[in-house]
Amino acid sequence: MEADTDRESGATAVGATVGHAPGKATRPVTAVGTAGQEPEPPPPDELAARFRAGDETALREAYDRFGRAVLHLATSTLANRSDAEDVTQATFVAAWLGRDTFDPTKGSLIGWLLGIGRRKVIDRLRASAREMRVVETVRQLPEPVATGVDPDAVVDRLVVADELARLPDDQRRMLELAFYDDLTHQQIATVTGVPLGTVKSHIRRGMASLKRRWEVDGAAPGPRPAGLSGAR
Amino acid sequence: MQHLDHDRLVFLALGESEADHGETDHLGGCVTCRGELDTLRHVAGLGADTQGLYALPDPPAHLWAGILAELDTVAEVPALAEAHRQDLPEARPGPAQSTTEARPDVPRRHPSPVTGDRPDARRRQSPYPDAERAAGRPAARSRRGRRWPRWATTVVTATAAAAVAVLGTVAVLGDREPAPRQEVLASAPLAAYGSTPKDANGAARVFADGRLHLHVANLPDVPGYYEVWLINPTTMEMFSVGVLRGSSGDALLPLPPNVDLQEYSVVDVSAEQYDNQPAHSGDSLLRGTLTG
Repeated sequence: MEADTDRESGATAVGATVGHAPGKATRPVTAVGTAGQEPEPPPPDELAARFRAGDETALREAYDRFGRAVLHLATSTLANRSDAEDVTQATFVAAWLGRDTFDPTKGSLIGWLLGIGRRKVIDRLRASAREMRVVETVRQLPEPVATGVDPDAVVDRLVVADELARLPDDQRRMLELAFYDDLTHQQIATVTGVPLGTVKSHIRRGMASLKRRWEVDGAAPGPRPAGLSGAR
Repeated sequence: MQHLDHDRLVFLALGESEADHGETDHLGGCVTCRGELDTLRHVAGLGADTQGLYALPDPPAHLWAGILAELDTVAEVPALAEAHRQDLPEARPGPAQSTTEARPDVPRRHPSPVTGDRPDARRRQSPYPDAERAAGRPAARSRRGRRWPRWATTVVTATAAAAVAVLGTVAVLGDREPAPRQEVLASAPLAAYGSTPKDANGAARVFADGRLHLHVANLPDVPGYYEVWLINPTTMEMFSVGVLRGSSGDALLPLPPNVDLQEYSVVDVSAEQYDNQPAHSGDSLLRGTLTG
């Protein structure tokens, strides 16, 4: 009984804080903002299908759900705020105009959007580097353009955050306790009242989902199973 | 070789326990287990770094407005126009269209000094302010109102929280008005040329006022800049029409007054170097043939 109460309050807290999360955002729009309710498992990605089909309401929904994540990618990698906003805008415009090229079998909509955003960030950094070389010849001090943060790392974090938010509540909660609070499995079992074996199994399954998602949607190179190397 | 239990790798990756001697030995010699452990550790590290990502700030309201405004300038690219056709029966480009034809199916909106200010604020966010200024159009608003359905206007209104009180009225009335329309004399879809990546694409339209509207998307990054040409495919003689600022976006370029579009019918976007060579580099990224 105590465990159930605990779990409920945990879910409520997560729901409240995840309200703006990119991950939460992949759920049906009706779920956004309904903190405290049991989140439903993510349905087949009907938003992605509508987006691809050219449904304009899907553009707005995609922006509502993923705009924060794309803007975060841009602001954390580009020093200039207006550059970052330009890149975010350009990302959604390019995504909409190029929606035919989105292949849902190769990754999620947010993974695809972040991929476009990542490329636009890199283009912007390169363009700025060229401008700087030109500017240097006339001996002016260029403004810094890059924050030095690696766009790939930002994309990876956003993708993993998204997947984390999509996990079943139990799995997500156990992983958050392990990641954020650095608790051991035994401590998690004690804190939550969930049997140790169940904790381990939630964490194992959650980790498997995060890893799979990173392999599909992540940007950074890394060890990948051969079958997935092209799937991004 | 007996690999380590996957559960065990997960726990090692999370720092739940230390590898014992046998496991250390195995990991030292087994690429598969070592790689899996590294991957799991990396993912766990990413997981630990996600904590700040659950309360990301909302994008500013003008960002969505900027997206709509930018899409609006390309709303007659066939793919996009498709979605609007049912809503906007006359949106299809064609020579027979009147530039000022009134639309009986939409309510006329009273001019408002408040909403009149909005397009300017929005236009500042455009990455192509010069092109928009050059267009000399009355306002981005009228174009958006013309091409985007009501929901788009309504969500812009909802997003612009500070202005909701005023703009709400606009949404109720319907943010549409008959807008001056550029007569399109000819148009061309632009496709990736040669070895250009296939996701590069674009569209060109020739307006009756002698300007070329160019939309491009996903041009590959180049060390120099992009230049737009009109080519006579028979003689391969060409006019340089202007340069593009970015790998995706729109430009409105004045056409040479003496160009004969029947002959110079190929629109070409090339990659050019800053090499003091005004001629075409030979490196074409996009091409398309004008029809209309």
